[in-house]
Amino acid sequence: MITRSTASIQQQAVRFTLSTPVQATLYISLCALILWTIYFTTYPAVHDKVHSLRHHTLTVSCH
Amino acid sequence: MPKLKISVLISVICLMSMIVYGAVGFSQTPQPTVRLTTDPAISSSNPQGVAQLVPFEAEATTYQPPARLTLQAMDASGQPLENAHIHLQIFTPSKTPWFTTDFPIVEGTTLLEIDAVAPKGELTLQQVFPIRGTYRLLAKVTPQTANAFAPFEQTLTLSIPENWVKYQNFAVLVAILLAVGIGGGWIIGGRQPIQPGEIAPQPVRLLLSGVIGVAIVALLVINVSAEMAQSGMSMPMSHMSKAAPSADQPSRIQSQELDLRLSGDTSATVGKLAQFQVTAIDLKTNQPVQDLILNLKATQLENNWVAFAYQGVSDAAGTLTWQQQFFDGAPHKIEVEVAPAPNSNRTFQPFAVAQTIEVEGVAPPLLVRLISLSYLVGVVGAGLALGLMRRQRTRLARHQTAHSVRI
Repeated sequence: MITRSTASIQQQAVRFTLSTPVQATLYISLCALILWTIYFTTYPAVHDKVHSLRHHTLTVSCH
Repeated sequence: MPKLKISVLISVICLMSMIVYGAVGFSQTPQPTVRLTTDPAISSSNPQGVAQLVPFEAEATTYQPPARLTLQAMDASGQPLENAHIHLQIFTPSKTPWFTTDFPIVEGTTLLEIDAVAPKGELTLQQVFPIRGTYRLLAKVTPQTANAFAPFEQTLTLSIPENWVKYQNFAVLVAILLAVGIGGGWIIGGRQPIQPGEIAPQPVRLLLSGVIGVAIVALLVINVSAEMAQSGMSMPMSHMSKAAPSADQPSRIQSQELDLRLSGDTSATVGKLAQFQVTAIDLKTNQPVQDLILNLKATQLENNWVAFAYQGVSDAAGTLTWQQQFFDGAPHKIEVEVAPAPNSNRTFQPFAVAQTIEVEGVAPPLLVRLISLSYLVGVVGAGLALGLMRRQRTRLARHQTAHSVRI
């Protein structure tokens, strides 16, 4: 009984993880993280590296 | 009675006409004005191929000189107003959080405020404009001699368009993000059967792994190269806050019977005005010296570009006073060179005083950055939705085809 419920939970977790909304959310979250790092983070090392790119892109504020 | 009514009507009409004509006539009476000319010219009046007035371009590959502004005060007949005093304020464009500029901290602030003696009613200065938009120039003209003319003020506007390169780069970025979104949606939307022993369908796993791999590589390249560039320095350097190197010239010099002193703020913050004053005193008489030629220049020391320049004369108190905003968070140098006026009895070799200014940069507001990020993520999301819809339609079409074949 316990084994069957564990397998059921696992299957549900797999189905949930593989569901389109979750996959789409993960994908967009990763893209947002990359965009934030490149264009918006104030971490000095990153800011100095992509300074020119930021100033030459519309809607991207620098300082 | 009808004749009386007609007479009254005609009288009323005549009275109204006189009032209207008087109002129109008054509004058309010539007024003293301030005329603004720029070099380079504003883009709307500029033929193609000629340099145009554009906002500051950070990290420009070629030197970008400041724009030259000339304000000419003229009387009602269009003649230059002589022996005038012009108080000028330049205001930056209003805040636009939903369509931000390079320097959101600068939006809606005062860029420059200067009191200038204008013997010929003309004020010429050079200024770098940090952002696109409509700047307001408020000029208050007063006579140096009391009652020479009636003081007046005028607000002029100066519209500066955005650098077209930014639109181009943004279009490329949108195209890339859209492609990324569509590709992701196409793969995620596909029905992939799970093989025994697999946690997730292989294509989905590959997609997520690929994106994660790209993110890791990108972050590694940026951070490692940034660390390598900073290796050997004792302190981590940041463009946002750097210690100002000391100026070659002092801020006060006593030379050739003149005491020239540059005073004011030694540090500044982006978005706020810093105050400065240069004073010239005759060492013999201890009296202020007026009508000295003062060449003022503010230079950003990191990339050596001139942010502001002005040539004027010292006033009756022997001073030149101004407030300016430093929009770039980097060390700047204020240099003032004094020279004798062309027809002056006083002759001396020009010399200069200088002062370095530490300018503290300010990070853009988080809300502004989140708004821009939402636009970019929205493009990815739109592409993802397109990819998913396209995949679903393709799958439905195949299903219908297979069903019709069976039938």
